[in-house]
Amino acid sequence: MRLVLATLALLMLGTGAVTAQSPRRPHRAGLWGEIGFGPGRVRVACSGCTDVSAAGGATSYFRIGGTVSDRVGIGVEVFSFLDRAFGFSPGDTTTTAETATATVVVIWFPGRHGLFFKGGVGLAGGQFTIPGTAGADTSNGAGIGLTFGFGWDFAISRKFAVTTNFGAYVTAVGDVVLPGQRVDDVIATMYQAGIGLTFR
Amino acid sequence: MPGDRIIGDLLRSQPTERTSRAYPSKGLASYALVVAFTALLIQPLPAAQFDTLPRPNAFKAIAQTVVVNTAVNRIDAWGRNRYWARVGTRVWARNIRLGWAWDEDAFATNVFAHPYHGGVYFNAGRANGLDFFESVPVTIVATWTWEYFGETERPSLNDFLMSTLGGVALGEMFHRIGTSIRDNEAGGTKRTMRELAAMPFDPMGGLNRLFRGQWKGFGRNPAEHDPKAYVLRVGAGARFAKGLVNDSVARMGAVVVDLLYGDQFAGTYRTPFDVFSIRLMLSSQGGLNALRASGRLYGLDLNDSTARIRHQLAVNQRYDYVKNPAQSVGGQSVEVGINSRWRLGTRGYGIRTSFFADGIILGAIDAPGAGVGLRTYDFGPGAGVRWEVAADKHGARFFLLYGRVEYIHTVSGAAADHVVNLSGLELAIPIAKRLGIAAQTYIFDRESRYPDRARDRREYPEGRLLLVWTKAASKP
Repeated sequence: MRLVLATLALLMLGTGAVTAQSPRRPHRAGLWGEIGFGPGRVRVACSGCTDVSAAGGATSYFRIGGTVSDRVGIGVEVFSFLDRAFGFSPGDTTTTAETATATVVVIWFPGRHGLFFKGGVGLAGGQFTIPGTAGADTSNGAGIGLTFGFGWDFAISRKFAVTTNFGAYVTAVGDVVLPGQRVDDVIATMYQAGIGLTFR
Repeated sequence: MPGDRIIGDLLRSQPTERTSRAYPSKGLASYALVVAFTALLIQPLPAAQFDTLPRPNAFKAIAQTVVVNTAVNRIDAWGRNRYWARVGTRVWARNIRLGWAWDEDAFATNVFAHPYHGGVYFNAGRANGLDFFESVPVTIVATWTWEYFGETERPSLNDFLMSTLGGVALGEMFHRIGTSIRDNEAGGTKRTMRELAAMPFDPMGGLNRLFRGQWKGFGRNPAEHDPKAYVLRVGAGARFAKGLVNDSVARMGAVVVDLLYGDQFAGTYRTPFDVFSIRLMLSSQGGLNALRASGRLYGLDLNDSTARIRHQLAVNQRYDYVKNPAQSVGGQSVEVGINSRWRLGTRGYGIRTSFFADGIILGAIDAPGAGVGLRTYDFGPGAGVRWEVAADKHGARFFLLYGRVEYIHTVSGAAADHVVNLSGLELAIPIAKRLGIAAQTYIFDRESRYPDRARDRREYPEGRLLLVWTKAASKP
């Protein structure tokens, strides 16, 4: 038994020594890009509204950037949400809602594992369309975009990873004016559960 | 936000300011209670000698912000019987379900007090050994938790952006100012006075030091204590402004404080906000009239540091607050541009130029028919450019010509696009060793464009004549 323990101890010491001697290669370095998609849910609030409208939809995102350090990446992220059966009131499904954000994001990996947290701020756009008798009525808005999220990077190789994302995207796009309705100071918050492919 | 409740009392001298419901509790009494609660988290250390930098402790930093938020909320709920502070699980569930909204608080509350108190959160991180970047998440978490769980009102998106972005900017600058004021190598009354003087800038840092026994213990000063190069200029005198009180030119008293901490060209970029500038203006009309600040987030020398003509690429984070009876404008922005300096002769003279383009993440501007509910100003993002030409000696400007154009697109308030122009000329003439006379002109004009009404254009020129005292250092 003592021999086994001594052997194990030597092996552990030896492994530690080898680890300590080998130069630590940066875990993450250089440029990276990621593209992904997934289901999402939008929640639209406005000034003076006593309740919110919510609906499901499809989301996609693309982000590209570089690394500041082994644990911090910085880049630009473009995110979009589409729901063809949206409504500002209960039971209404006549509106097509499209929102997008373009934000500068910082991605922080707290450890050498794949967990990461993300935050960013930038621009947002929103388009709400209702089909009318003489074509479609559209309301466009632009404003502030904000994003938070977390996820996990499953590294397949040094150059490629599959990434899960859970994010919130806040878009403040101003007033939405459509026939028969005016919604002031719209804030649309999208929640996304997505999966992406990351290339480094 | 908890902090506005204290700062807001100081701002009540502004006659047009609506009293915010998110306003201070019992001023110093509230602070004292917060201090007492906070103290419970801090292990008092009686050591006479201490390490310059505390060991990083993110948990303690976040815990202190939770204590501050909880204490302020409970003081307002139990002590002042404020309805907005009566939170509970139903309110929290509703806030989570409904999510973000724009609030109706006063301009000074949203654009000055929130950033100041975001800075308090930020400095809970800095006071517990976290670096600049590590303190940012502390600010975000503390602000987010207050917005969702500290008030009965729905979480406010403008509060969140103002408190986090402004909190980071003001927090880091105030942390460095506080560290410069404090002196770990001094003793006696002078030491205590320095600790007290730093408190308004960095209360969390001061309190942590107090309960660690560092107000009396000795230690080495951290690197931020001595920025190597700085210019502090304090001026007092008369201000002449048209349109501020009425249509004619009105005369009033003014105090203008300029601080340049560090110098872009004194060394290479080290850390965020290793170089920053602040301008504070107090006036007998309206109290705090202006607080403008800009800190370098990143800098890159574009040529040799020994060259006669230097150019540097810089990314700055800006904070702007202008509030007087005639105009209210402010916000959080990031700018990218080039700073240059032409060295003239060997006696320290030079010409400096700057040209920057900026993105306004969240701006605020008053406008006729603006706002939401009781709010009288708009919120929105935007963009702009800024330029300046200056002549200096060892970093101290004695001539400055500047201009700035900003565009703000409203996303909360009246549907509008605002264009703001700022320009000015400033001269400082020395008359004795540190004393001088400064003459400053400043023109603010703005145009608001609405889809459903006529354009609104206004202009506010003003001049200032000040007796200035300048202290500067420029070390290699």
